[in-house]
Amino acid sequence: MTLSFWMLIAVLAITAFSIRVLGLIAGDAIRSSRYSWVLDDLPGLIIVSLVASSLAGQSIGGWVAATAALFVAYLTNHVILTMCIGVAVFSGLGWAGF
Amino acid sequence: MKHGAITILPLAAGAAIYGFAFGLLAAQVGFPWWGVALMSGLVHAGSSQIVAVEQFSGSSAAVGAALAGAALNLRYIGIVASLSDVLSRLPLRQKLLAIHITGDENWALTMAERAKNPDIGAQFLIGSGLVMIIVWTSSTMLGAVVGAALPNLEQFGLGFAFTAAFIAMARGLWRGLSNFGPWLASFTVTIAAVLLGMPKAYAIVVGVACSLAASYVARNNRKQEK
Repeated sequence: MTLSFWMLIAVLAITAFSIRVLGLIAGDAIRSSRYSWVLDDLPGLIIVSLVASSLAGQSIGGWVAATAALFVAYLTNHVILTMCIGVAVFSGLGWAGF
Repeated sequence: MKHGAITILPLAAGAAIYGFAFGLLAAQVGFPWWGVALMSGLVHAGSSQIVAVEQFSGSSAAVGAALAGAALNLRYIGIVASLSDVLSRLPLRQKLLAIHITGDENWALTMAERAKNPDIGAQFLIGSGLVMIIVWTSSTMLGAVVGAALPNLEQFGLGFAFTAAFIAMARGLWRGLSNFGPWLASFTVTIAAVLLGMPKAYAIVVGVACSLAASYVARNNRKQEK
């Protein structure tokens, strides 16, 4: 590997870890402040945002599969079962041309 | 720790697909298989690695490409901050290990399982994180070695696995109608940002920031009503 390859790995590793450490420091500061509610709300908001970013621009099949997954999640509250049924519906609709 | 390691396995299988794809991409840019493994182990940030390697020309653009990739990881400020309570009793060395092996999947799974059972905590996060970083590192390495020979696993719908799993995790974190407004804001702002052309990682940061503002307003309104 040339120097640029090593530079890419080193800079990426240092910045990625620094961002995590910043989160650690921010979390401790927020937890002892009057904004501690932020830490309760953040997980749900980030997960919903992750789902939204995956669904943006998806085909109709993707949205139908997501709706099916939401229905299964609502009924069962089970991650793996929801994942399996979501993937099955998504691939089934994909094969059917949606 | 074992509980987390076992529970994360289906999600780890999904991550392996992206790992193979990334390994193949990195090999095409010129990374040797051990360089890919080294990067995955030290960085452990899928989307950042993908963007950095895509932008990397093998010349003097290394620092710029790395910074562009790292910027995509800004959501980890919020992700790690939300772990404050989970990690509070760990010594610093273990905290640093835990935040390095924290990824979207094992973090979300930990928070969703913790919402059901408050005993779930740092050991679950670390167990699931260790599996994820091992799977990510080895799958990217394998992708660099044999990636071109593999079939496109996305065609079997496995790429949708994370979306479905995150939906289930959101269900686990749902605490009632008070969540509705902020969650709706997070969903719609993120989708709008992506549709307007913003990279997904930035759209997530924007969506979460706007929904936190919505949550703040909703809390103030509830206080005033009381």
